Amino acid sequence: MSAVLEARDVSMVFGGLVALSDVSLELGEGQIVGLIGPNGAGKTTFFNCLTGLYTPSKGEVLLNGVRLPGDPAKVTSAGVARTFQNIRLFPSMTALENVMVGRHVRMRQGPIASLFHGPTFKRGEAAARERSSELLEFVGLARVSDELARNLPYGDQRRLEIARALATDPKVLLLDEPTAGMNPQETEATRQLIFAIRDTGVAVVVIEHDTKFIFTLCDSVSVLVQGELLIRGTPDEVRADPRVIEAYLGKPTEEIEAELQAAQSQSTLQDDTPGSDVPGSDTLGSDAPQEDAR
Amino acid sequence: MSRVTSWMRPVHALAFRVVGAVLVLIGTLMAWATFVYNNGAYPAKATLQYFDAPFALNSFRLHLAILGIAALAVALAPVPGRNRILRGLGWGVIAIAAVHMAFMTYEGGGLGAIAGGTAFGSWSTLVGGILIVLAAHGGGLEGPVHLPTKMPFYVAWLVLLVSFAGLLMLVSRTLTAGGQGGVANPYSGPLFLSFVGYAGGLLAALHGAGLLPWISRLSEGHRAFSIVVLLGCALALPFTDAGTEYWMTVAANIGVYAATAIGLNVVVGLTGLLDLGYVAFLGIGAFVAANLSGAAAARFDIELPFIVAALIAAVVAGIFGAIVGSPTLRVRGDYLAIVTLAFGEIFVRSAQNDIGGLTNGSNAIPGLPPISLFGKGFNESITIGGAKLPSGVLYYFLIVLLVAVVMAVFANLKNSRIGRAWVAIREDEDVARAMGIRTGQAKILAFMVGATLAGLAGAVFAHKLSTVSYESFKFLESVTLLAAVILGGMASIPGAVLGASLLFVLPEKLREFSEYRLLMFGLALVLIMRFRPQGLVPDKHRRAELVGEDPEGKPLDESDVGQAHLPDVGPTTGPTTREAT
Repeated sequence: MSAVLEARDVSMVFGGLVALSDVSLELGEGQIVGLIGPNGAGKTTFFNCLTGLYTPSKGEVLLNGVRLPGDPAKVTSAGVARTFQNIRLFPSMTALENVMVGRHVRMRQGPIASLFHGPTFKRGEAAARERSSELLEFVGLARVSDELARNLPYGDQRRLEIARALATDPKVLLLDEPTAGMNPQETEATRQLIFAIRDTGVAVVVIEHDTKFIFTLCDSVSVLVQGELLIRGTPDEVRADPRVIEAYLGKPTEEIEAELQAAQSQSTLQDDTPGSDVPGSDTLGSDAPQEDAR
Repeated sequence: MSRVTSWMRPVHALAFRVVGAVLVLIGTLMAWATFVYNNGAYPAKATLQYFDAPFALNSFRLHLAILGIAALAVALAPVPGRNRILRGLGWGVIAIAAVHMAFMTYEGGGLGAIAGGTAFGSWSTLVGGILIVLAAHGGGLEGPVHLPTKMPFYVAWLVLLVSFAGLLMLVSRTLTAGGQGGVANPYSGPLFLSFVGYAGGLLAALHGAGLLPWISRLSEGHRAFSIVVLLGCALALPFTDAGTEYWMTVAANIGVYAATAIGLNVVVGLTGLLDLGYVAFLGIGAFVAANLSGAAAARFDIELPFIVAALIAAVVAGIFGAIVGSPTLRVRGDYLAIVTLAFGEIFVRSAQNDIGGLTNGSNAIPGLPPISLFGKGFNESITIGGAKLPSGVLYYFLIVLLVAVVMAVFANLKNSRIGRAWVAIREDEDVARAMGIRTGQAKILAFMVGATLAGLAGAVFAHKLSTVSYESFKFLESVTLLAAVILGGMASIPGAVLGASLLFVLPEKLREFSEYRLLMFGLALVLIMRFRPQGLVPDKHRRAELVGEDPEGKPLDESDVGQAHLPDVGPTTGPTTREAT
């Protein structure tokens, strides 16, 4: 497996605050990699380092073995696209126009061509429009292509952001909390969408709080805690790791044990189990979404 | 505005609007003033038709009668969008009545009707107007009316032809309304304002009836035809009442500022960069053209043909645009505005003190020779098909051409990859960058394009005025241009033209109020920003953003939506992938 995207020992320091220290990530072709961690763990900071929004204090990011430049525009044209944690569309452009902005980097019309609207220009515009419409259809938004982005419902806005990112013809797609605030149906639809994107040959990195979502989606999961990579492995490995449980739920104290026991005995009819074993893999998988209420 | 619900019982609303309309009609038939001047009674002192005797229906009273009859008809007949129509009519009536009342009070004292005690025309009309507006709001404003746009093309063409002819008439009438101001005609200001109130009221009523949006959608569906007809109408203006040397000069000046405002719109409206020193580019263009014109005070002793000089002026202005734009790489928002403000001031001070020796300081560069083509000076009068057109008409034609070119540049760039990048930067610069747009380049390009257009306009401006002085390019001019863009509607071409027309025709028409001009200007801006933040003729996207309407108001049926978006699609010449992948 050759790595499409590789981050080597990326560190990021803001003043005296170490936001990331020596985080590495490898992403193979057609892989979906999850990035989880508590709030403030540095997930989005890591994304910003990958996309050139931040220049890492140390370390480097390689796309197909070539070092990525420290400039978001160039990173995007190199083939890394992203969405944002808090949706950032171009609100007073239509859905189609939003996606066409994504095509920008794959179009070549300069000012002179734009001034005269010659046949070549028109072919390019038509092609961009067609590709954008295809992408809207791909994410299921063809029906609202002429609606203003600001008027779209929340879930559609998330999808539109993905379509816009896909319009840049990325090799790697970075999704920052694509299901935040979604109901179970929408979350499931997003999962299918991400699988479909993977099937087109795009490698995907997903930040998500919803651990259940991540564990059923990803080929590999990395856990960030306080700027450090805690563990990297398959969903099963990560799910079973006590350090992950500890990072998410804290060290079990007497009270927590008691609470967990109470919860456990209420929700299941099993006999009570020893406290340290309570937050087992199943618990983490099913309960984590509830503590996602940020 | 559909959030306004009805708070009046239907029967009360009916009574209000009928009584209002009747009061308006009664008001138009009554005398408007019988006041006594300090030094003489009405007929002796006030000799003008302006304060006409009872039962005289001319001038503004004719306008009022038309509005009143329309209001009465609409009040009784159940037409779609009735309350929206009434609102427009009512405000038109209020505007007319208030303007004349204020003027009479100012001139004669009292409250419009004193002394004789029978001249309650203005009062009756004003109350009538207020009743109509109250009835409109109280009855509950309906949603926008949508008329179908599916029709054979010749019907659409006929409708457009008639509409644009009407527009030409309206422009001509507005321009000449009240006549040429000055000592001989002290009433031109109020008469003009009153006409603007009348035209505004009528247009608002037509808008309420859904006719204006309908025409605008029709014209979008028949874009090429509309452009040709509009251009024809613009060229036909000299053949109307406005075809005198004076009005041609006014129209030409408006055209120059409209072209400049459209250029500014690239920077402010599309890209969202606030430029407070924009008029400097107009100045650069004008001074370059002046220096290359062979005028006696010019620095260079060469006389280039106008077209060459204009192109050089545009290029030089464009280069300065890039220079001024370069700070945009580092500063944003308010800070950029201050940088541009400083640049504008540097330009004016340099020109004033003749730094560089290109501006002749406070002596200005006078005596630019008129542009001539085929041996015909542009300041001469011409004869076309038996109609003798006044001098200045050729300049007017040239400026119509200039505005058309500037509009085409703006429209083409807006609907392109570059234009989308600009709008994306306006919407969210960081995300635009993350989408692969080289925001620095794009912003400098926006400044360059805007400056180039202004430079081109400046060259025409210089020859039209035949004198170029630094005084034409002061800070106030920049602010006025910016106000024109915002007033008309950001990123909208008709908006910029309308804004420029209003802001540069008003001073011309309101000479007698010159000391209050800026005050009125400021008040009008405050009111418009409060009640119509999207501008008078907003860009459809912007309108939706600020008002929360759908881009086309509210598309009701499929045919409407299809029609409305037709022009955007462009010819689909097959999916040949021109894009690099």
